[in-house]
Amino acid sequence: MITTVPDRRTEDPSRDPTRGRAEDRVARAADRRTRGVALARAARRGDTLAMSDLLDHLIPYVSAICGPIAPDARQDAVQETLVVVFRALRNLDEPEALYGWVRAIAVREAIRIARRAGRDTPVEATEPPAPGDPQLATDIDDVLGRLSPEHRAVLVLRDVEGLDEQTAADLLGVPEGTVKSRLHRARAGFRRMWTA
Amino acid sequence: MTEPLDPDNTESPDGQPAETTPAAGEATGIRPVHVDAVARLRALTAGIAGARVVEGVLPAPFAEVWAVMGDLEHGFGRFQPDMRRVRVSRRDGDRVEAHARSRYGMRARFDGILRPGWCWLQSRFVIIGMAAVAEHDTTRVALTGGVRVPGRAAIVPIGAERELRLALARLHTTVKAG
Repeated sequence: MITTVPDRRTEDPSRDPTRGRAEDRVARAADRRTRGVALARAARRGDTLAMSDLLDHLIPYVSAICGPIAPDARQDAVQETLVVVFRALRNLDEPEALYGWVRAIAVREAIRIARRAGRDTPVEATEPPAPGDPQLATDIDDVLGRLSPEHRAVLVLRDVEGLDEQTAADLLGVPEGTVKSRLHRARAGFRRMWTA
Repeated sequence: MTEPLDPDNTESPDGQPAETTPAAGEATGIRPVHVDAVARLRALTAGIAGARVVEGVLPAPFAEVWAVMGDLEHGFGRFQPDMRRVRVSRRDGDRVEAHARSRYGMRARFDGILRPGWCWLQSRFVIIGMAAVAEHDTTRVALTGGVRVPGRAAIVPIGAERELRLALARLHTTVKAG
């Protein structure tokens, strides 16, 4: 046995090369999701090779969640998320829920690490960057970094992950109204800083 | 609920100086964070009951250290206390299949992953994990593994840490000897 779980990215000869790019992208994402779930299932059965593959598989996903929430400590946030994910993997009863489960851990860890990194500055209290600041036009991370971790988390969950407000509220452990108000302030703050 | 972010895997090989790779996924454009091999080993080991990790910094460049650690047939047995002979029977990309014989005569077939800075091998009764990362002119090394609880992600903890410390000390000596 060489490969524990087949990598469908390279092993699916039936893929139609003429398929539209958007459709192809969605299909590839679905393939990767299927692979992630299969790896999680094998890992829960005690296959440590599958665990190693799952680790590789999850790093980009965890990066995409933690990066915008903890921009100054993204490496710590990703690493600590992975430790928590693997420590708790045996408690993941439904491997199909892998991504939602990992996402919840990543958001929680990223907020915690961002706070620890001292970037917990509410959007209302920040000074907008000076007009003409060259960073402003090119570095979205810098603008995101001026929001509080909670506001960044709401932006990531709603505008990057595409969750509805109730789901985001459940994940963050706050009322739906809080998500709405945070989202409003985060978008307003982001827009103000981005266009200042 | 919508589809999650595209969990593409575009990470570079482990063990090299920190670098990030292009987009995590086409859907996000967010670059994956580089998680070096030692950090990966710590994370993975967190999911293995009873596993210990022993780390050290060897005063030699990564290439010299990995030339010993990553050479399963000729280098590995020089520092792993229990290994007498290892034969790689199959390679497919970074996947390896190896047959090993211990100093006590026991045989095992391992399946695993071997790439620069990262080695993970698993048999029914043994788990071996090794990671190495360049740190300027030195190399940070992490070792884990031991006797596996059959069929489970678990290691019998008795004596495991002592064996790993012994392996690290022998690796140091082997690399120094050249």
